[in-house]
Amino acid sequence: MTDPKPMVTELDPVIHAQARLRVVSALSVLREDDRITFPQLQESLRMTAGNLSVHLRKLEDAQYVEVTKTHHGRTPATLVRLTRRGRLAFDEYTAALRALLNPQEEP
Amino acid sequence: MTPIDDDAPPLDPAESLALIERERAQVGRDLSPDPRLMYWPWGIAWLVTFTLFFLRYGPDGRVFVDLPGWLPLVALAVCMIAAGIVTGVAGSRVSRRVMGPSNRQGAMYGISWSVAFTAFSVLFSQISDVLPEDKAGLLWAGGMVAVTGALHMAGAAIWNDRDMFILGSWTSLINIVGILAGPGWHSLIVAVAGGGGMMAAGLIGWLRQR
Repeated sequence: MTDPKPMVTELDPVIHAQARLRVVSALSVLREDDRITFPQLQESLRMTAGNLSVHLRKLEDAQYVEVTKTHHGRTPATLVRLTRRGRLAFDEYTAALRALLNPQEEP
Repeated sequence: MTPIDDDAPPLDPAESLALIERERAQVGRDLSPDPRLMYWPWGIAWLVTFTLFFLRYGPDGRVFVDLPGWLPLVALAVCMIAAGIVTGVAGSRVSRRVMGPSNRQGAMYGISWSVAFTAFSVLFSQISDVLPEDKAGLLWAGGMVAVTGALHMAGAAIWNDRDMFILGSWTSLINIVGILAGPGWHSLIVAVAGGGGMMAAGLIGWLRQR
């Protein structure tokens, strides 16, 4: 782990935005190398397709998620997965939140 | 549909953690089939058909209800096929939402069930002719319930699912007790404790998901 007592300002700005934190949280449920379909992610997050696309692009730019386009038979499908880097960032973010909540419990 | 604004103010840490847990729970629910659809059809199938077996082929050759001899077996076949369709559809609808190693795991697990049941069916059909009717029935029922219990335990190992392991262990245990108690009693025990176990598993899984 990094700094045992991170300050609010040190929280990862990429996933500090509420919407992107929701996206990354949702993707963190997937097992490594599993990809979720875009429509399902949209439905689970209750976001519009446009809104979700915007946030995914920002997460892609940070290399936190990987978006791939493929085909299910003839229908095109867009699949999303959390990268190793994204998972690490998410784990660090949640650890930082816990540390902020219980600073005295930190070793 | 709560529109989430990009510029929504950051939450405080407790709210953020709650948000994370909410989203994770939501996606977890969306990506796993409804436990009621996965267990209840089998629970009902076992309850109904093994009760029919008990009533028609009771302990020591007793006939509690004079049903046609073919009825329990036909009911078993129909209920198993119906349960297989319900769980198959419910499972595949969910598995289509994700692509990756999980799909392969699920497919391999599903194939294991088919292979195990096929192998035992072939074996038992070779042997059951030489057994008295009640022992042959016990061989079929005891063997199939044993496979079910063991595969639930193996599935629990794949998905690290403690409840599923308990169900598999319970099914295996009551099966052994039933086999030792003998033909007739085995049917009653599997109907009540086995079918009941599946019903309970569906209910507990559903309550945990909510």
